[in-house]
Amino acid sequence: MKPIMKTWLAVLTAGFVFSVPSVRAGAQDLKDAREIVDRTNVAQYYAGEDGRALIRMKIVDGKGRSQRRQFSVLRRDLEDGGDQNYLVVFDQPADVRNTTFLVKKHAGKDDDRWLYLPGLDLVKRIAASDERTSFVGTHFFYEDISGRHPAEDNHELLETTDTEYVVKSTPKSTTGVEFAHYTLWINKKTFLPSKIEYVNGQGKVYRRIETAQVQTIQGLPTITRMKVSDVESGGYTLSDISNVQYDLGIPDDIFVETSLRNPPQKWLR
Amino acid sequence: MKPTFCTTGQCRRRSSPWRCLLMAAAAFAALALGSGAFAQPEQGEVMPQTEGSADETEESLEEETEGSVGESADTPATPEEVAGDTEPFEEVTEEDWGEFDEWEEQAEDSPGGKAFHFELGGFVEVLTAPRVVRSSASANEFVANEARFRLNLDATHEVASARFRGDVFADAVAMRIWFDIRDASIFVRPSSWFNMRFGRQVLTWGTGDFLFLNDLFPKDFESFFIGRADEYLKAPSNSIITTFTIKKVGLDLVWTPIFEPDRFIDGERLSFFNPLAGEIIGDRSPLTPIEPLFPEQRLRNGTVHGRLYGTAGAYELAAYGYVGYWPQPTAFDLADPADPASVQGLTYARLAVYGASVRGPMFGGLFNVEAAYYDSFEDRDGTDAAIPNPQLRGLVGYERELFPKFQMGLQYYLEYTVHYDELISNSLFPQYEPDEFRHLLTLRLTQFLVLDRLELSLFAFFSPNELDTHIRPRISYKIIDPLAFVVGANLMFGRDDFTFFGQLEQNTNVYARLRYSF
Repeated sequence: MKPIMKTWLAVLTAGFVFSVPSVRAGAQDLKDAREIVDRTNVAQYYAGEDGRALIRMKIVDGKGRSQRRQFSVLRRDLEDGGDQNYLVVFDQPADVRNTTFLVKKHAGKDDDRWLYLPGLDLVKRIAASDERTSFVGTHFFYEDISGRHPAEDNHELLETTDTEYVVKSTPKSTTGVEFAHYTLWINKKTFLPSKIEYVNGQGKVYRRIETAQVQTIQGLPTITRMKVSDVESGGYTLSDISNVQYDLGIPDDIFVETSLRNPPQKWLR
Repeated sequence: MKPTFCTTGQCRRRSSPWRCLLMAAAAFAALALGSGAFAQPEQGEVMPQTEGSADETEESLEEETEGSVGESADTPATPEEVAGDTEPFEEVTEEDWGEFDEWEEQAEDSPGGKAFHFELGGFVEVLTAPRVVRSSASANEFVANEARFRLNLDATHEVASARFRGDVFADAVAMRIWFDIRDASIFVRPSSWFNMRFGRQVLTWGTGDFLFLNDLFPKDFESFFIGRADEYLKAPSNSIITTFTIKKVGLDLVWTPIFEPDRFIDGERLSFFNPLAGEIIGDRSPLTPIEPLFPEQRLRNGTVHGRLYGTAGAYELAAYGYVGYWPQPTAFDLADPADPASVQGLTYARLAVYGASVRGPMFGGLFNVEAAYYDSFEDRDGTDAAIPNPQLRGLVGYERELFPKFQMGLQYYLEYTVHYDELISNSLFPQYEPDEFRHLLTLRLTQFLVLDRLELSLFAFFSPNELDTHIRPRISYKIIDPLAFVVGANLMFGRDDFTFFGQLEQNTNVYARLRYSF
């Protein structure tokens, strides 16, 4: 009897012990703002080794007029938190259908970007540009889509609630940024931001990004609905992300010029 | 009829344009049917779409997952509410997100991945472009006045796809209806390192902006000067392109079995300087339209284009080669080959081109260098008056964003004519020959405003030695998503009548274009 009891006890103990680390991770709050932001950066922009998604956006301007965007994205990470490759294939609006966009994102230096214009069969290299300007005519900025490098800001942990970290990020250099600082509300479990508010020099929130839906896909929490608002004009863009798949084994060699002309259907569908 | 315009083989032999269209329609329909493309929409109906692929998408995190915001007031729904942040998602109404659900139902993503994905699109466009200078050479006050319908069809598969791009347009300047098939091609990707596209297609390479050195694919210079969309600067050809990719190195080989020349300015729509007449001639002249002697349609008269390319860090390197003809009829067709004065028309001389280019980031912008040697091998020593001399062409360009959404591009282009003394001493018209060194500067300014819906753009060419210029201001505005309005101008001036842009002076025009895309 005793041995059996022991076994049961062992099993129970093991179960308890094994469950402890996760409970601890939940309970033990991180104290370092930079570590939190680094983990957020990886959770938001580097989920899996590679990924695919279909993104739909609805742009509503201050006068209530709306436009749509639809595009597919293939991504492959070369290093978590570091270099990444993106291939974007546009489907809507109709006048940009089959336009493709290749980005080689480099941490710490300008990205390499190419745009393919199908009517001319022209592969156009795009000069480095302000990362904080409209992404394809939406209220999102390029930086919202590809991520802002955590090293560009100083991070300060303002508050730790039951479920969230509140981090204030202040840019190290004010060139090329329109904000004085921004505040992130970061979910303690998923490390995904639920809200980001951008504050201008007058201390006013003029821009806000909100997470409206998070789904766990292949075990990875993923933001699937987002809204960005331009507070002053009242305009906003809604973004819906579907068809998400991670770790498809997308090879690095599809992120080349020939894929701009003829997107690799194998990975897009 | 202009042989360069309606461009299938049948049209060239002066058959009815309806036959052109029928042939193309039949070919594409057969292709699409044969590939099972039309079966696809039915499959889509049978298989209802789910967000993502249902079995891949695991159940959501209890707390974080939320259908649509504001769905339930009492359960902690949004991450904000979980966090005790009471601020609701203002303005995000259920209808807003609901639209995405409807949108998703419309989506026709192939569930299998093996089936063909079928797509249809296109646009309707009207263009009007009156001349704004008095023209003595051309009777027509308009350089363009047309209504165009474009049909795009795509049948895409994992290893193969078919593409059709066809235009029909009513042209009130030429007083006729044109059919122009810009693409009718099939793409095959048998493996990751090899693919090919064959059929009618538009091809482009090189690093220049509106300047083409190593790109000897056909261009349409008429469209370029009359306010048509930029894409019409490139004309299609019936070609086969094969691409080999090994690691980061690519090799493109293009074969165009029947030489396809540029759609050049022949005097009918746009006037130009004719050295034989010694003046600018247009549709009033009995010499127009120019109908050059075309090389015999034999396989050995086709053209071959090659490009080897790769990257070194952020820099793109490429080497190019071409064997074929000068893309414009710049040679004289002589009745007696021994007598240079016996000119009976224009024709295309043989040409080979070798070149290279580099493009990469520099000083916060993009820098490119390209060079090409035009080996006019029928007249290497430059003594034949009927055939153009060899040339060395070079280009240096720099482009960067000066302010957010404001781009600037600068280019310097040089054309050096080899054996210039021989050219002048043998030329039939030495007074009209371009200088030994032709310099050209270009400037591009682009500003995007109102969430990229409004684009202000300016492109200018200026030659400091020929003292001529071509300025292209343009305003594009996307009124609502499918509807775009463009106004612009094509301004050409020059000190002399015979220089590259100076000869086009009487074609200076303004234009307006309205396009509805679907």
